[in-house]
Amino acid sequence: MSGSSRTTGTVIRRAFAEAPSLGEGLKLTLALAMLGQAVTVITPIVLQVLIDEEIGNPDGISMAGVLQLAAIALTALVVGVIVGRISLLRLVKTSSTGLSDLRIKTFGHIMNQSVLHVQSERRGNLLSRVTSDITTLQEFMEWGGVGMIIASSQVLLATAVMMFYEWRLALIVLAGVILYLLMMRWFQRVLARNYDAVRSEVGASLGVLSESITAIPVVRAYGTEESTKAKVAEALERRFRVEFKTARFGNILFSTAEIFAGLLTAILVVAGVLIGIQLGTSSGTLIAFLLLANLLIEPLQILVETLEFAQSAASGLRRVVDVLDGEIEVRDPADPQSLRGGGLSVRFDKVGYAYPGGAEVLRDVTVDIAVGSRIAVVGETGSGKTTFAKLLVRLIDPTSGSIRIGGVPAQRIRLDELRERVAFVPQEGFLFDATIAHNVRYGRLDASDAEVWTAFHELGLGEWVEGLAGGLQTMAGERGGSLSAGERQLVALVRAWIGTPDLLVLDEATSAVDPALDVALRHAIDKLTEGRTSVTIAHRLSTAEGADEVLVFDHGELVERGRHRDLVVCDGTYAALYADWAAGTKSV
Amino acid sequence: MSDRAMTPTAVLRDGVELIGRFVKMHPMAFALAVFGAAAYAGAILFASWVIGWATDNVIIPVLDEGEEPDLLVMAGLVIFGVAVFKAGGIVLRRTAAAYLTGATRRDIRNRLLAHQLTLRMSWFNRQAIGDLLAVADADTDQGTGVLGPLPYATGVSLLLVGTVVLITSIDIWLGVGAVIGLAVAIVIDVHGSWVTFGLWEDVQKHRGIVSSIAHENFDGALTVKSLGRESYVSEQFGVASDELRDRIIEVNSTWTKYQVIMRALPQMLIIVLLVVGAARVTAQAVSAGDIVTIAYLLTLLAFPIQLIGFVLWDLAGSLAGWRRVQRVLDADDHVVWGSRTASTETGAAPVSGRTVGFAYDDEPVLSDLDLNLEAGTTLAVVGPTASGKTTLGLLLARLWDPDSGSIHIEGRDLRQFARSELPKEVAYVAQNAFLFDASVRENITLDGVFSDEEVARALRLAGADDFVSELAEGVETELGERGTTLSGGQRQRLALARALIRKPRLLILDDATSAVDPSVEAEILRALKSAELPSTIVVVAYRPSSIRLADEVVYVDQKRILAHGEHDDLVESEPGYARLVKAYEEEARRLREAS
Repeated sequence: MSGSSRTTGTVIRRAFAEAPSLGEGLKLTLALAMLGQAVTVITPIVLQVLIDEEIGNPDGISMAGVLQLAAIALTALVVGVIVGRISLLRLVKTSSTGLSDLRIKTFGHIMNQSVLHVQSERRGNLLSRVTSDITTLQEFMEWGGVGMIIASSQVLLATAVMMFYEWRLALIVLAGVILYLLMMRWFQRVLARNYDAVRSEVGASLGVLSESITAIPVVRAYGTEESTKAKVAEALERRFRVEFKTARFGNILFSTAEIFAGLLTAILVVAGVLIGIQLGTSSGTLIAFLLLANLLIEPLQILVETLEFAQSAASGLRRVVDVLDGEIEVRDPADPQSLRGGGLSVRFDKVGYAYPGGAEVLRDVTVDIAVGSRIAVVGETGSGKTTFAKLLVRLIDPTSGSIRIGGVPAQRIRLDELRERVAFVPQEGFLFDATIAHNVRYGRLDASDAEVWTAFHELGLGEWVEGLAGGLQTMAGERGGSLSAGERQLVALVRAWIGTPDLLVLDEATSAVDPALDVALRHAIDKLTEGRTSVTIAHRLSTAEGADEVLVFDHGELVERGRHRDLVVCDGTYAALYADWAAGTKSV
Repeated sequence: MSDRAMTPTAVLRDGVELIGRFVKMHPMAFALAVFGAAAYAGAILFASWVIGWATDNVIIPVLDEGEEPDLLVMAGLVIFGVAVFKAGGIVLRRTAAAYLTGATRRDIRNRLLAHQLTLRMSWFNRQAIGDLLAVADADTDQGTGVLGPLPYATGVSLLLVGTVVLITSIDIWLGVGAVIGLAVAIVIDVHGSWVTFGLWEDVQKHRGIVSSIAHENFDGALTVKSLGRESYVSEQFGVASDELRDRIIEVNSTWTKYQVIMRALPQMLIIVLLVVGAARVTAQAVSAGDIVTIAYLLTLLAFPIQLIGFVLWDLAGSLAGWRRVQRVLDADDHVVWGSRTASTETGAAPVSGRTVGFAYDDEPVLSDLDLNLEAGTTLAVVGPTASGKTTLGLLLARLWDPDSGSIHIEGRDLRQFARSELPKEVAYVAQNAFLFDASVRENITLDGVFSDEEVARALRLAGADDFVSELAEGVETELGERGTTLSGGQRQRLALARALIRKPRLLILDDATSAVDPSVEAEILRALKSAELPSTIVVVAYRPSSIRLADEVVYVDQKRILAHGEHDDLVESEPGYARLVKAYEEEARRLREAS
């Protein structure tokens, strides 16, 4: 992620602006939470009164007084319970609603960005934006956030009561507490440095482990089980040593804080008694002090710990806000222009594209594609073919030059209209974990089963579907894993086809099907798209042979264009590609 | 994501069993941690007693009765000393717990990998790699999560027992009050966890749903976007997210009730005990110091007591993670190895298969397949999409085992070989070339010992010598994670070199040169056939140019071998075969004629 320099405050304000439901009634909720916690200071006070007024009373204890005192205290505690419950519930409701809104908004924003397919290596990070980051925020709001409010109100009140009893002793406690806090902060900083070493070993060991698991087929084929296990065991052992060393160090650091708290109590007793002799402090007051000091130290420990929690929640929120700030590169136009019906032409005018912060992958491409023509795009891996296709269907926008579709600037066409008229079939053949029929319906949400059948038959794939155990209701499995790569591509093709597009763009969409089926599909598509425009990125040059025009890309430039029979006789890039292809397909 | 909802009783039962299993792995560390926790509990009890003693012997006599503060310094020293002791207990407990957790995780991860390495590839193939990685990573952490708080929870239990004992020793009536009060607190706390347990599991399930929707749509983003379905899937996500929100609110409306009561209960107990205490002071049964001891102790207990309910959560969380770890460890689809050693012969070996059958998920993939290959033959396996070609290759390499029939190399059943022996005779190269995050040399030698000449020869045979020599540091160049710096064709050639350096007697190439240019591929195949120690080669391929180089071809379709013979003969006799291999050629001719 880009290092965001915004302060936590700005990020929080931003989150409230994105999901206003987060802040609904928050002030009242916080006030109630504090009030609910305020009653905890009642115990030391009761103890002080009991010792000084009753037990220390030369006239003996009045049980009526004691009971009255207890009744007041218990009533206060019950009120605290009720108020506390109301505030907690309010908090959970607002935080859950607000965070759900934020999650939905973030998801929608990510889906509208190009980053998922342009920089696919970042997918994992983006996934945690809508899962673990939001969960961390939720947990913080429910536990840490409340904990902090409660702890700080307890600290404030305990301090106030101490000041009221005896300000000199209170100052000793305060000075001690501040020292203690500084100490804890310093420990945490020292430890944070150690955690870096832990993190890097954790990362390294997981890297080795996941590589070994992914490589199991290779390990099996070459019988390298023992060396693989040894490599993993070594990485895990190193990680364990670093983790344990850090834990040991951290435990010693934190235990000194416990010693410090004991020292503070000891000083309080000694100083309290010595000061008390001079000032006539009562024993009840000093004992109340000891209890109040306890009431202080524990919430402070919680406070320091939740401060870390708050920091990780804040950085989670910052990451979420960074995503929301990410620009949506391909936007709906402000003043849209409608496409005319029928086939669509395409015009590229001096189009170039460079990945964000990367080199230019396409340069100065100018080309006209007439309505109803069948275009083949060829070139080596990395020549810019796929970028050309993505620009054509407006999955990305050019960094220079302009594109017109059906005579209209591509950026002026409403996206849903564009997607309805222009279909793109990528190579990957991605299927959702649902039935084949459901997968096809992604291409047209209201398609009936009969229409799905028809689409398969139109492409000559009826027999294939009928051969599946469950027909159209066959489950595709996670990422389509129940089908072979070639079969996934067939479903993806039908899915695009059922939307009856006026411009069909195929990006090596049949790369994994066998040659005979590939040729048959080509014929079916050619027949069906009669009068409509089709652009096919091909690594099998048979497509190029039958095309109206071939576009040849090399190193990001359109180097040749024309009919197959003309290009093949020039001594150029295409001729070389074709010679290699022909050599590979010759059966005799 | 829980696989099934569990009742709290089942959680307790299975949880105790799970803890027992972990403790058995490192009993010493556990014992030390519990000892530390006991010391910590003892320190708290003693600290409370000291405060009470100081009240009776120092604070009240000096402040209220004007006596000399003789014992003052000693009181301070004792308080400080107890704190040091308590700190020692904490260090011991936490350090031993860290060892227990870390060592257990390390051991489980090692076991997971070792176990998976003994399982059949057909098992591995049914798993999503992402799931297996999650099991070794997050699930193992979650499954052992209970080990961290376990010693602390033990300490708290000891503290509760100690509290009752201490208060009872002060005064029987106060003791009875404390027992009743603490019992009420524990019952309420455990009851709260109990009744909300199912609801929490439900929340976890919905978290899983939200996460998998996001995961799937991010994975398939290109498809979603090219179909213009962004708002459709966002809507689906929104429904799931709001459902999760409702579950969270539902569980909290129950849980917060218990939460606030638990927070106030220790306070209420103190008040009640103060009243009882005051009455007992009147009866001269207890001193003011005793009351202070009790109040002080209960103040210290207020926080830990709230944690008792969490034990159930910790257990449930651990069990959910452990169930997924257990599922992998329980898989018993082991490969059974024989004891036969590899032959001392070198050079190509004859291969045969008898009535071989194989089914995947009860769907037959290959049936009743017979195959005879003479030593040194190059065989091409050809067939349409999803016809079982890849399966045949996997069976010949014994990456999968046939369900019926058997496969032999030089007359020996592949299943008779010992684990480390089979790779000396058979090598398999897949279409998807896997490279390790290591140097070119290490990727080729793996754990074997080979000379520089052997590495160079393998690279040359695989047609990889040219581009490797152009890499910054030649064979010593580090390839980075999964070899992403190389092109598909280059990766495939390195994977091929890895097989060739072992001079296998049977070499299986499953579309292993699909990303290599046809002319380079033809060169590689020619070099292999004329190598000084040629192998028997089985090539799964589409390209007629590769098929043409084979001595024999088997045509696979409809789950069996339809024909076996020379390419030219099959083109004549098998129309399906001819259609497949001549598809592009025919298409080219048709187009030439049409124009």
